[in-house]
Amino acid sequence: MGTINSAFSLISGALEADQSALSIVANNVANANTPGYTQERPNWQENQPLEINGVSYGQGVTETGATSLRDSVLVTRLDQQQQLASASSARLTALDSLQALFPPDSGSASAKAGDIGSDITTFFSSFASLEANPSDASLREEVLSSATTLAGDISNAAASLNDQSAGLGQEAAGVTSQVNSLTTAIAQLNQQIQTTSPSADGGTLEDQRNQDISQLSQLVGINQIKTENNGLSITTTSGQLLVSEGTSFQLSSGLVNGATHFFLGNSDITSQLATGGGQLGGYLTAATQDIPSAMATLDQLAYSISTSVNALNNAGTDLNGATGSAASPLYVFNEPLQVAGSAQAMAVIMTNPDQIAAAGAGLGPGDNSNALAMANLANQAIAGGATPTDYYSNFVSTLGATVSGVQAENMAQNASVSQLQTQNNALSSVNLNDEAAAMSTLQTSYQAASQVFNILNTIMTSALNLGVQTTVS
Amino acid sequence: MHVFETRGEQPELKQLVVEASQALARLDAARLQELALSCQALNRDLNRDPNRDLTSDTDTRGSLAQQAREAAGEMAVFARVLDATRNNLHLINRLREVRAGRLEYSEPQARGWLPRESGHGDN
Repeated sequence: MGTINSAFSLISGALEADQSALSIVANNVANANTPGYTQERPNWQENQPLEINGVSYGQGVTETGATSLRDSVLVTRLDQQQQLASASSARLTALDSLQALFPPDSGSASAKAGDIGSDITTFFSSFASLEANPSDASLREEVLSSATTLAGDISNAAASLNDQSAGLGQEAAGVTSQVNSLTTAIAQLNQQIQTTSPSADGGTLEDQRNQDISQLSQLVGINQIKTENNGLSITTTSGQLLVSEGTSFQLSSGLVNGATHFFLGNSDITSQLATGGGQLGGYLTAATQDIPSAMATLDQLAYSISTSVNALNNAGTDLNGATGSAASPLYVFNEPLQVAGSAQAMAVIMTNPDQIAAAGAGLGPGDNSNALAMANLANQAIAGGATPTDYYSNFVSTLGATVSGVQAENMAQNASVSQLQTQNNALSSVNLNDEAAAMSTLQTSYQAASQVFNILNTIMTSALNLGVQTTVS
Repeated sequence: MHVFETRGEQPELKQLVVEASQALARLDAARLQELALSCQALNRDLNRDPNRDLTSDTDTRGSLAQQAREAAGEMAVFARVLDATRNNLHLINRLREVRAGRLEYSEPQARGWLPRESGHGDN
């Protein structure tokens, strides 16, 4: 009877174990579309064999719970790639707006209104026209009109840059509230996981924590540090503590000299966040690096043109035979005192076109030597070691190259995220062979792509060489 | 299956590179293999077509050089995607090695699980 009882016990145990395993599978199926859910696999434990008369009888297995199929290294890598991709996406959005302010077709026939490159050419050309007939009132009007257009476009561009910077600051400040709610949630989950699963996978709680971390990674650059009892600490990439197991530390933002800054406690961590990644990093890189760089270029351009033109006009003789003096200078533009702020302040202050000093110092109103000198400023290296047109063109080209570089970076990072997600999904798929299949697809894709790259590289190198004109003796 | 026409009208190099980057991003191995074949065929065509002497055909030479210049940016993107994929592949390979090693050697010992002799071996 003992043996029959044992057999029943074995059978009922096996059925219970199967039932538990089926529940786990059913749970997997039910949550197939739940975001962040990780597939679970049942754990089996061998029962102690029963010994009767020295013979060992197997007692089957018991289902002892479930383990989520996750790989923390893969998940961490995915988070890191996500924060890089988010940073470049946010920066790219800001750069696209920035680039729209500076059309690249400066000076061309299709130049649009607001095209500073075209304005510079038109402005210096107006002096060249005046030089042919220095007393002509309409040509004098034309000089002031083109100066007003140039000053207006530079000033408007500077104002738009300031608006964009303020807008980015507001968006970045909006991100901090999301960061804070996520770090609070992660700290609470840490407490629950450490209480309920100190030495095992936290299951759905851990899924939730991973999902929150994934979202946090998209907002701000972070590092994760595993702690005792399945706990977790999170720092920014530069080491400031955001979550320490069950405690979270709140980010705050505030204006410093008109710019949005970010604080953790009393520490200003704006510059660290800018280099750290995530949306916040992308916004801050644009706000603290790209926009100030564009503004500095505009300021230098405005300062150089204003001071150079003013200096020459002040030294010449106007249509009424007057020459500028310290008490009543003959300035076309308002005279900037320093480079910073010159762009936004740029404006034409001359109201009477007769005050354009086309004649040289001490010469009569019919002379054109000063108009010629002012026209020639277009060909002199007065702006940062280059002519005004070249200086502006270099800036537009550099901006274009930056946008192109960030686009390439963003494309590669998004591709990497997508690939890692595929691998991560395969890891937690029902069929274990799927993981091997996903791995094989990755390997095959890489090999085929390498082949495509090498052949295309060969074709392109040959094509470029074919395009070079060579002399054959 | 859509393969680029390589015998008649040549595909734009830029288009090929963009397609390759996108296929690699979504791990479309089949499409990448098709593209590899297309590129091989294109390369063969460019090098062996007896009716087209590239060294003397100024128009074709200029057109190809132009296409190559236009595709330079897309090639840079493709190179970045390829680089990211290589890093991912390396990571996945290492993870598999680590997991395989743990399953084969470490895990049973770590659990204190040791195979026991059994009278029936049916457990």
